[in-house]
Amino acid sequence: MPSPIPLPVDPPKHTALEDLQGFSISLVTTAIGLSFITQLGFITGQTAGLALVISYLTEWSFSWVFWLINIPFYALAWFQMGREFTLKSIACVTILSLLMEIVPNWMQFSHLNPLFGIVAFGVLTGYGLLGTFRHKGSLGGLGVVALYAQDRFGIRAGIVQLGFDALLFGVAFFLFAPERVLYSLLGALILNGVIAFNHRRDRYIAN
Amino acid sequence: MQTKDQKAENHTLFEDAQGFIFGTAMCAFAVVMLRDMGFITGQTAGLALLVSYVLEAPFGWVFFAVNLPFYWFGYKRMGMKFVLKTFVCVALISAFSELFPHLVSFEQVDPVFGAVMIGFLQGAGLMAIFRHGGSLGGIGILALYLQDATKLKAGYVQLGFDAVLFSVAALLLPLSQVGYSLLGAVILNLVIAINHRRDRYIAM
Repeated sequence: MPSPIPLPVDPPKHTALEDLQGFSISLVTTAIGLSFITQLGFITGQTAGLALVISYLTEWSFSWVFWLINIPFYALAWFQMGREFTLKSIACVTILSLLMEIVPNWMQFSHLNPLFGIVAFGVLTGYGLLGTFRHKGSLGGLGVVALYAQDRFGIRAGIVQLGFDALLFGVAFFLFAPERVLYSLLGALILNGVIAFNHRRDRYIAN
Repeated sequence: MQTKDQKAENHTLFEDAQGFIFGTAMCAFAVVMLRDMGFITGQTAGLALLVSYVLEAPFGWVFFAVNLPFYWFGYKRMGMKFVLKTFVCVALISAFSELFPHLVSFEQVDPVFGAVMIGFLQGAGLMAIFRHGGSLGGIGILALYLQDATKLKAGYVQLGFDAVLFSVAALLLPLSQVGYSLLGAVILNLVIAINHRRDRYIAM
């Protein structure tokens, strides 16, 4: 599918060190953002959302569920997106899982307003994902399936992801108190807003 | 098809607004953590924190007041649009930093993790503000003004200010807190030094 906005030709490349600091900042900030919603018992969209629902229902740790859920997607990513993307995804998902185990030991809230918490989640995790994408990483999962569906069956990737989130939040309404799901929905909206308004390959041109 | 507003080089008003709200909220959240842990940071915000600790005054008002004299230099050096954007950003941080402590507080934060987190959050916030053509005013403007007037390098003015600020802080605050504050300030400056590249993020 052609990009709606022309991309720069021959963009500058990030050095390995720049990628390393980019991923460090992005993944730590993503983990801090996620800590806000695990504290409040809220969910979000995509693979992380599914992992949160499972971890609340089973009381297993989010880190492990998130890490395990992502494994099947790597096989698809390997064939669809290539080796570099797959290895970067595995690294990002693994580091994020580790951080989600550690961060709660380093930072505990004594008081957290749910509205503030969900907005902070959307902003922090949106920023973290933006940094991850700008350095050509990914948090694996559903995005790969969506891209595959687009290439193989002609279903738009965005529709697949939206459909998944609709299903996830629909199920969540049966499992959790409605206000918990509504707060979660606001966070997912803000997260997607941060990325939609700021992830512009024509503005941040480095690769 | 491309409308005028979609051009890569120009942020729309809405894009600037979301950039400034994001940037100032990130900085204000970093201030909440700085205050919770009794740390300071560099530049005008650091001065305001130190004053607020010593006088037990609210940071938001001190930060707002400390910045007032610098708008004159900003107007002379950078023009009205820049001063207005800076004024809005400073006012937002002042307001957010008074509001946020009612909404979030910490039971415990590991000081090293806290310092790193503060550096990351401030770095993200400042970079967004800079990329949207704003600033947090203060010493940076004075430094640029002095560079024009006296050929004194702006970077040295800012470094000199921070050196004095941290030395005074070392006399007033526990040394460990000053050390962690220094770590946070170094990380903040690295985040900006590595990532604030006008040749990569090209929109104005």
